[in-house]
Amino acid sequence: MATTISGTGTPTIGSRGLPFAFRGLLWGAIGFLAGALLTAGVRVLLGYPAFALEPVVVIGYVFGLSGWFLGVGVWETWARGWLGRETVAYKPDGWRRYFGFHQDHKVIGIQYGVTFIALFLIAGLLAMFMRAELMETGRTIFGPAGYNRVMSLHGLMMVLVAVTAVPGAFGNYVMPLQIGAEDMAFPRLNALSYWFWPPVAILLLASQFVGGWDTGWTGYVPLAVVNRPGQLFYALAFITAGLSSVVAAVNFVTTVVKMRAPGMTWRRVPIFTWAILFTGILSLLFTQAVAVALAMTIFDRIVGGAFFDPVLGGLPVLYQHIFWFYSHPAVYVMVLPSLGVLLEILPVFSRKPLFGYKWAVGGIIGISALSAVVWAHHMFTTDIGVTTKIGFMLTTEAISVPTGLVFLSAVGTIWRGKLWLKTPMLFALAIVFNFLIGGVTGVFLSDVPADVQLQDTFWVVAHFHYTIVGAGIFGLFAGIYYWFPKMTGRMLDERLGKIHFWMMFLGFNLTFLPMFWLGLNGMNRRIADYQPSLEGVNTFVSLAGFFLGASFLFFIWNAVVSWRRGAPAGDNPWGARTLEWLTTSPPPELNFDGEPEVTGDPYGYGTDGPAHAIVRGETGGEG
Amino acid sequence: MTAHAHPGYRELHRYGLWLFIASEAFLFAVLLAVRFFFTGLDRPEALNVPLGVVLTIILLASSYTLHRGEKAAEVGDQAGLRLGLLLTMGLGVVFLVIVGFEWAAGFVEFPASTPYGAVFYLITGAHALHLLSGLLVLASLYIQAGRGVLDEGNRWKVEAGALYWHFVDVIWLSVFTTLYLL
Ligand SMILES: [Cu+2]
Repeated sequence: MATTISGTGTPTIGSRGLPFAFRGLLWGAIGFLAGALLTAGVRVLLGYPAFALEPVVVIGYVFGLSGWFLGVGVWETWARGWLGRETVAYKPDGWRRYFGFHQDHKVIGIQYGVTFIALFLIAGLLAMFMRAELMETGRTIFGPAGYNRVMSLHGLMMVLVAVTAVPGAFGNYVMPLQIGAEDMAFPRLNALSYWFWPPVAILLLASQFVGGWDTGWTGYVPLAVVNRPGQLFYALAFITAGLSSVVAAVNFVTTVVKMRAPGMTWRRVPIFTWAILFTGILSLLFTQAVAVALAMTIFDRIVGGAFFDPVLGGLPVLYQHIFWFYSHPAVYVMVLPSLGVLLEILPVFSRKPLFGYKWAVGGIIGISALSAVVWAHHMFTTDIGVTTKIGFMLTTEAISVPTGLVFLSAVGTIWRGKLWLKTPMLFALAIVFNFLIGGVTGVFLSDVPADVQLQDTFWVVAHFHYTIVGAGIFGLFAGIYYWFPKMTGRMLDERLGKIHFWMMFLGFNLTFLPMFWLGLNGMNRRIADYQPSLEGVNTFVSLAGFFLGASFLFFIWNAVVSWRRGAPAGDNPWGARTLEWLTTSPPPELNFDGEPEVTGDPYGYGTDGPAHAIVRGETGGEG
Repeated sequence: MTAHAHPGYRELHRYGLWLFIASEAFLFAVLLAVRFFFTGLDRPEALNVPLGVVLTIILLASSYTLHRGEKAAEVGDQAGLRLGLLLTMGLGVVFLVIVGFEWAAGFVEFPASTPYGAVFYLITGAHALHLLSGLLVLASLYIQAGRGVLDEGNRWKVEAGALYWHFVDVIWLSVFTTLYLL
């Protein structure tokens, strides 16, 4: 089974034969069947009919997931050790390294990046269909039920993209480089966290064959309990994604705390790494809550539990409490990494030190802490009581203080800087603009009386797209344009990048700004139709949305062509100071051709201070 | 290719495991909060408190046997380690069997379609699943001990398995307190 790479003598696997990802599908299918048969057998023994879809799916899935993991390479690289046997390494060359249980953080970062760009594009395509339906009043393409199914799938997929893409791609690829580590603390857990995602995609696909679901990404009860079986797949997919987050979070936090290079005191930690640390802490703690909410839903569906059925004494509102106890912090899991990208890029392209580094770090910590005590601002139209609502209104408004610190740090860095307007910088500047609109419009939603009017209108849709797309997804693309040269060794094309930027920036604002007006004028979200007086603006929004969608064609073209034939990037095309730029592009297997040592401030651009870091004992790393 | 300075294997893994335990503790904190949200301090008369005490004693005993096994491993006594693991796994299995009987009786008195029943089966079920995963870890350690690979260099594996098992026991104490005593 194990072959040897010529010359190295290390036993390794995966270089020939069926790629492990396909073997994983096979073993996963076998596991699913075994679990399904087991369930049927136990049901017969207990005197029930052999087949019932949902119990079979749940137990089958648990077994199928185990088979999948063993098949993609956990068996040889890890599980054999649990039986006291020798394990082997998965280190094939070329494209095969991406199709199995590879443990190098650089491989995993690229796996995450490509996977989540693909999911982003599919979910974006769904949004195009939604805008086609809303182009005119009345039924346009799928009508009310189909619209809500598409809306739900778009919503969940985009939430998963927003939660995962930036930490998955850059938290994995860049953060260990930034702290001068040779890899993440737990490479196998890192691979594990990535390989949870194909099963999530399979569940979402499978859900559409059993009727899909139409609760949006939030899965509110009681609908989620009485809904079609697609809702079960939604719950399983969400829980699986949560498991991935927890596993990844253990790794991120341990890596940042324990693996920093000599000399990297907390005051010299790059801001993106700070953002990843606190994203990890939020995921680590709060993800468990959403798992509880979804487990309660599954419980009610399968054994007829009393959690959310008021007739049996259940409390549907409790679902919302638990769900948002996770999902508000999750909003910051979506946004913090991108704010980290923003503050990482601004000093480089303003050629100035990061303004108020300590305050920005304090802002990140403050946002994380406050995010735990604001969840009920999603519940101002429930019966939670006026005093409670006022309390949550105040905590929510308090979040603007730490957010303001981050914002001031951004603006102060740009202020009187010599701005170098390359594509990454354009995306970063757009975040500042978008996030300001997203923040200001959020204040209205945090206000109880205003929210009672605005709840479930397009104002909400516009507001959260301004924060999550305007900051989160713009941050993803800022990061791609900034770090693509490091990851591939090649530059993205500036001209195509600028076309993508301007189309995306204009398309985004023309799509979502009018939605505030639509919301104020009473257009409800999650409904396939609206009053005829809003038709003109909706047609405009749809056309702008298609323009926004088209911008990504330029990105794909640019990425595919530049990856193969782009101009060579060299080690440090942006003249940046942080450690990821002090090694080759892409970096060698253990990241540095020497010992990184941190000697100064990461953002001393234009100052006489010492370099941020040096790499000792380099053996001539210019590749 | 050079070696980078980083903390030892054991220190790193211990830190990661504690983070995971913190996350799991949060899971049970939310679950236990659900109980008070649903049923306040009411609980059904039919709840078998003496049986809960028996379950508690079994798990405390299992923590003790595992501790003895771990101590044996520290002085290189592989047979003692295997005995400790075997006794602990036996107690774990007895625990799960008793929980099964308790559920069978409970389904009649407080079914899942009552608020307390729903809370009871969800929380004890979540705990039982954690205990089951702990059993798998101990079984793996038992096999490895049998093959003689749990030497000085692999001491951490025993420590990790024991730490997780003790954690699941501590969780039981809070589950027991919340479901049976309050
Ligand atoms: Cu919120």
